[in-house]
Amino acid sequence: MKRFIVITLLVLLLAMPLVFAGGDKEAAAESEKVIRVAEQVPGLITPGVWDGQAFSMNSSIYEYLIEINADTGVIDPLLATSWESEDGKRWVFKLRDDVTFHDGSKFTSEDVKFTIERTQDPDVGHLQRQDFSIVESIETPDDYTVVLNLSDSFPTFIYRLTDYNMMMLSSEYDYASLGESKPMGTGPFKMEQLVPKESALLVKNTEYWDASLPKVDKLLIYFVPDIDASISMLESDRVDIVPFVTPTIKNRLEGVDGISIVSPYQEHRFIAMITDMEPFDDNRVRLAMKYAMDPEVIARSVAKAELNDGVFYNESPIISGLVQHKDIPFRGRDIEKAKALLAEAGYPNGVSVPLTYASDHPYGKELAQTIQELAAPAGFDIKLQGYTRDVYLSQYWMNVPFSITGWGVRIDPYMMLSLAFKGGGPWNESHIDNPRVNELIDKISSETDADTRMAFYHELQDIFYEEGSIINVEVPLLIAVNDRIVNYSHPVSQIPQYKYMDVK
Amino acid sequence: MNRTLSIFVQRLGSLLATLVVMSFIIFLLVEIMPGDVAQMILGQSATPESIAALREARGLDDPLLQRYGRWISGVVVGDLGESVYMRGVAINSILWRRVGHSLILALTAFIMFVPLSIFFGILAGVKEKKPTDSIISFFGLATMALPEFVSGVILITIFAVQLQWFPIVSVIPIGESIWSNLNILFLPALSITFVMFGYISRMQRSSMITVMNSDYVRAAILKGMPKKYVIFRHALKNALLPTITIIGMNMGWLFGGLVVVETLFGYPGMGSLMMTAIKTRDVPLIEACVLLITIIYSLSTMITDIMYSYLNPRIRFQGGQR
Repeated sequence: MKRFIVITLLVLLLAMPLVFAGGDKEAAAESEKVIRVAEQVPGLITPGVWDGQAFSMNSSIYEYLIEINADTGVIDPLLATSWESEDGKRWVFKLRDDVTFHDGSKFTSEDVKFTIERTQDPDVGHLQRQDFSIVESIETPDDYTVVLNLSDSFPTFIYRLTDYNMMMLSSEYDYASLGESKPMGTGPFKMEQLVPKESALLVKNTEYWDASLPKVDKLLIYFVPDIDASISMLESDRVDIVPFVTPTIKNRLEGVDGISIVSPYQEHRFIAMITDMEPFDDNRVRLAMKYAMDPEVIARSVAKAELNDGVFYNESPIISGLVQHKDIPFRGRDIEKAKALLAEAGYPNGVSVPLTYASDHPYGKELAQTIQELAAPAGFDIKLQGYTRDVYLSQYWMNVPFSITGWGVRIDPYMMLSLAFKGGGPWNESHIDNPRVNELIDKISSETDADTRMAFYHELQDIFYEEGSIINVEVPLLIAVNDRIVNYSHPVSQIPQYKYMDVK
Repeated sequence: MNRTLSIFVQRLGSLLATLVVMSFIIFLLVEIMPGDVAQMILGQSATPESIAALREARGLDDPLLQRYGRWISGVVVGDLGESVYMRGVAINSILWRRVGHSLILALTAFIMFVPLSIFFGILAGVKEKKPTDSIISFFGLATMALPEFVSGVILITIFAVQLQWFPIVSVIPIGESIWSNLNILFLPALSITFVMFGYISRMQRSSMITVMNSDYVRAAILKGMPKKYVIFRHALKNALLPTITIIGMNMGWLFGGLVVVETLFGYPGMGSLMMTAIKTRDVPLIEACVLLITIIYSLSTMITDIMYSYLNPRIRFQGGQR
């Protein structure tokens, strides 16, 4: 008996390699086109409260009234065929008449009305509630026309419809109870199978209104908690796309055949100096910090890139790629001047200040260390305090004198200004409350003349240069893509467009 | 046999008591973890109102004991609640699939490391102080000293990158089941084997040496019994006892230790699920995972105790002699 057990175990042990050596099966039949993505594990995915993770999934299932062209950056029609507003107050949208939801129901003006009214529903906790509180009433003269009446003139209102939480929803679908488990929209792909926290299988929507799209048959999305495991999957050809990689991983992948790093656009890293806490409550200390910076060193050490080629540096919140951006030449690194400014402000022997940041966010650690080194000769003794991003955002952000925060781009800079740089703004992280800045932000929102608006923008950036509360380092968003993928499409609205992508 | 039964009842009682205490400790620990759930869920685009609304809706502002009561009364009837994120999706529907995957991995590792380490432990014990013994002991120490995330990377480099025999990551392709992808189990199971091998084989070796030096074994050899017969008939039976205890005790540890291996290999088991839950402050899911590991740990310890008392007459009959 004993011998039998021993022999059985030994046989099992020997047989094991044979079982395991089942070998790698070919992923899919040759005729089927598949794109495989490794994403972070998403949090909430219900439209309205979606936290902006797992972009590949939601952006393929849902659709918006308009989209941003990834090549030109202009607004293209999508579910809306046209829109017009003479006074910036009354907006008329014409809709496509050939669109159906995945559940078979027709997409009409009622659904647009439902989607926009839903932003104000307190039960939803919609993240766009404030931005859409200006919509006073919605008319639906016929099935394919929607009229939005705003409380005031908002000439750039159209941009708010590019927010990733503003996808069009069906008025007949129960998103409150099904939004997490059975997402449903008008998009180019349909949810076939969702294994919570593990994977999603999306298939081509054969009823899609543009018969030529999407280009591939299936979208396989793996939710991988660990970015290094995602990269291993990419290297072993188990996935084709890994979004949001760090500069370290970029360097590692640069020598790998068949994998490219694409950088569709830049994102903000705001180095915020809080204006009502020591020592940055004195503008001279903020200026001293700015004089201690060296943009070229920052670009090289943070992203291994040259300045103005991948990494940009400026002292106002308006990102370099936008037309509203005013090109102000860099003030030049001047340590003596920085020291003098610090002494004038009452810190002749230098000043010690903690710098708080999210250590696991791309560029966070690199940027913090570079600033620490650059500011030291001027007399800044910076103590680095890195936390994981969730802890940073929930416990430190907005409450510490000196911090680094990653911000996505808002195509209409007004959206960013009113959120983060206006006195009383909900995410005013640097606590800036400059009367002229507040006034300019208000004027920008209601000014209908484009040239005047531009002049306001330029004046605002001059103020930020002199007494602003941030240093704005623009870093490239990095996405690792297998060379098999053709036409990786990802506009600055942050919403990747998988329908345009193809497989070689 | 009655003695075994009374041990069983005793153990069961203390198991239940342990679980009650543990459940409260788990709840408290998760409670004091830094990071706010509502803030986590809503991310950077959260507004104070939306955070307040969410806290209200999820009952996050209720008193501690009330929330504990709500949770534990659900757990008792098998309802682990809903994940913070997946509204309308019960944790039961996420967790058990992952637990199944983890069990398969643990079992695979078990089948690999138990015969291996016992066999080499016996060999080292019998060949005490000979080169065979030195080699086995050295190898055991070396693998034991390497944590899983180091040995795992070494194994990946050798078997997946250089030889390309096994996949680098242990992900189940979408639309397929674990059964058609058994090859993904090998590397994670091997890195678990590495850690367990040193521990168990050394245990087996030392108990083998003790038994081989005991009087009855020496007597058996002296009376001219074949050495093989003595080793397998007499010595092994007694030398296996401590090893069984160690294996049993480690089953619980093994299950908790899967977190590292599963995360490293991207294997969709309970360990990596727990990792995700902790990262995203998914409180109900963390509680469910930790509680389950506690249960498995306690159960495996209990089973080991009972098995030990069954195998060892001295413990079984102790009650009668008192």
